[in-house]
Amino acid sequence: MNNQNAIELRDIKKTYKNGALEVPVLHGINASVAHGEYVAIMGPSGSGKSTLMNLIGCLDRATSGTYILDGVDVSSLNDNELAEIRLKKLGFVFQGFNLLARTDAIKNVALPLFYAGIPQRKRNDAALAVLEQVGLADRAKHKPNELSGGQQQRVAIARALINDPAVLLADEPTGNLDTKTSDDILALFNKLYENGRTIIMVTHDEEVARHAKRIIRLRDGLIVSDGPSGA
Amino acid sequence: MMYFDEALRVLLANKLRSLLTITGLIIGVGAVIAIQVLGASMAGAVNGALGALADNSFVIFPNSRQRDASKASIRLSDLAAIQQSVPGILSARPLGISSQLVRAGHVLARFSVSPEGAPPFSNLPIVYGRNLNADDVAGATNVCVLSNDAYLKLFPGGGDPTGQSLYAGSHRYVVIGVLAAPKRGFLNLQFSGAITIPWTTFVHDYVVGQNIFGAGFLVADASRIPQTEIAVQNKLRDLHGGKDLQYQTADKAKFTQGVGGIFNALTLIVGLIGAVSLLVAGIGIMNIMLVSVAERTREIGVRKAIGARGGQILWQFFIEALLLCSTGCAIGLAIGLGLGAFINDVFIIKLTGTVVPIPWLQATGIAIAFAVVVTLAFGTYPAYRASSLDPIEALRYE
Ligand SMILES: Nc1ncnc2c1ncn2[C@@H]1O[C@H](COP(=O)(O)OP(=O)(O)O)[C@@H](O)[C@H]1O
Ligand SMILES: [Mg+2]
Repeated sequence: MNNQNAIELRDIKKTYKNGALEVPVLHGINASVAHGEYVAIMGPSGSGKSTLMNLIGCLDRATSGTYILDGVDVSSLNDNELAEIRLKKLGFVFQGFNLLARTDAIKNVALPLFYAGIPQRKRNDAALAVLEQVGLADRAKHKPNELSGGQQQRVAIARALINDPAVLLADEPTGNLDTKTSDDILALFNKLYENGRTIIMVTHDEEVARHAKRIIRLRDGLIVSDGPSGA
Repeated sequence: MMYFDEALRVLLANKLRSLLTITGLIIGVGAVIAIQVLGASMAGAVNGALGALADNSFVIFPNSRQRDASKASIRLSDLAAIQQSVPGILSARPLGISSQLVRAGHVLARFSVSPEGAPPFSNLPIVYGRNLNADDVAGATNVCVLSNDAYLKLFPGGGDPTGQSLYAGSHRYVVIGVLAAPKRGFLNLQFSGAITIPWTTFVHDYVVGQNIFGAGFLVADASRIPQTEIAVQNKLRDLHGGKDLQYQTADKAKFTQGVGGIFNALTLIVGLIGAVSLLVAGIGIMNIMLVSVAERTREIGVRKAIGARGGQILWQFFIEALLLCSTGCAIGLAIGLGLGAFINDVFIIKLTGTVVPIPWLQATGIAIAFAVVVTLAFGTYPAYRASSLDPIEALRYE
């Protein structure tokens, strides 16, 4: 498995259909991401970053093309199979944290394990271990409204990591955070990268993108450049 | 159980809303169960109150409001004639009652004296001595059987009174038996007086002339009482030579049916009210569930993004609806049972002396059935809506 790429996109096209209206967005994306890479996807607004991220995240299906995630062709899977892939192989970090309100950190982190059918004791132990990794073990019983933005995002990262995903996906993970906190989160990503985690991050901020090791630039649904960030 | 924990948390986070949502359910289930409890105790009470009357007996009276009232009057001689010509009649006796000043030892009190046959119409058990027998009736002996009330008043010292004499007016009777206390109450029809004597003795001592107040019959087959009643009415019209003469009959089955009929109508009305309130309650629950799904669209998106399957989302909302409905039904059950038990205690038991067990099991079964049916009928669609949300759309929802 490790000699394969984490992600392989071959001539991926996406056309949104709203009734009779067809909106072509992605016009043939070819890219691959090796295990252990740290990639930033950049591009102007409307260039198709989120559309691509949704495809990589198995939340949506391409109109045509082949997508191989961690050795599995996910191009033609049904809804339940895609859910399974999201559960087992992917971890999501969102701009708005998206933690469950009124639910403490440890339960939030353990949620994917619940959907995987892991018993409660094991869930809690695992969640506590990941919270430890992101430096929040002492906040396990805190609810989201009792945590700062940066802490909430770290809980969200812990949740994304708990299933030991093949790829960690982050859509504007620092978009809601101040510079200092953003740096903390990016330092955490760097630590995860150094520990071998594969990370793909969408951002419009050059400063943020420079933390990644490789930058893919999109424009009008096509990759216009793909290369090392110089970091 | 995590689905359950989460559902509980969601419902407790909106306590007032949850409570208002299930109010209709509480009222509906409470009403249905209260009526259920009352139905059981009413039926038991009617049976208990009439229990002292033999199942295979009926009585007949001339209708007092008729033109030929005197012509319709039942005569002593009718009894033998009826017994001879109407099939299935085991025994016949006159009905009557005579109020007398009764003395036993130093005790003096007013009691009603009434006729009884053998076998007796009353099936109250004997506590001392024996009942009247065929020899007492045939010989018109001066013996009597005391009701429990009369015994307690006339023999305050207690003990077995059989063999002792008492005086009713100028007549002396030897006590041969004491009856057990009847279940008392507003439904308890007093077909016999405090002191019963052989009907032949009663006729001799108290009936002047040939006319009697009414007649009572024991039949071989209780299920043929309606036909026998008609046959007796016809025979009386025959004997008295008047096609239009009117007679009224009464028996245990007829009375039970009358009360049962009133009760069935009540059950139907309350059942309808319950059904309507459950429908309204169900729609309210569906509405709130849909609101809940809409409010948590983003949460549903997140859950799906991290790998929840549609079925797991469906289950979560379904459990939430089930918890809401079961809470409503449980409170309704408690209120219904409480109300039913209270009415049962204050009215039925106090007035009739009949203790009917509360149908806990049946009531609980009804409440569970309601919870399941309402959840299935009104919780399924919102849960389905939640499960079929598109994760991308849901995540974008503000
Ligand atoms: N569900 C949709 N239906 C139709 N058009 C869409 C839909 N989602 C996105 N688009 C269009 O696709 C293009 C790319 O959008 P998006 O992937 O969100 O870009 P980015 O994230 O780079 O800003 C935009 O022109 C947008 O209007
Ligand atoms: Mg976007």
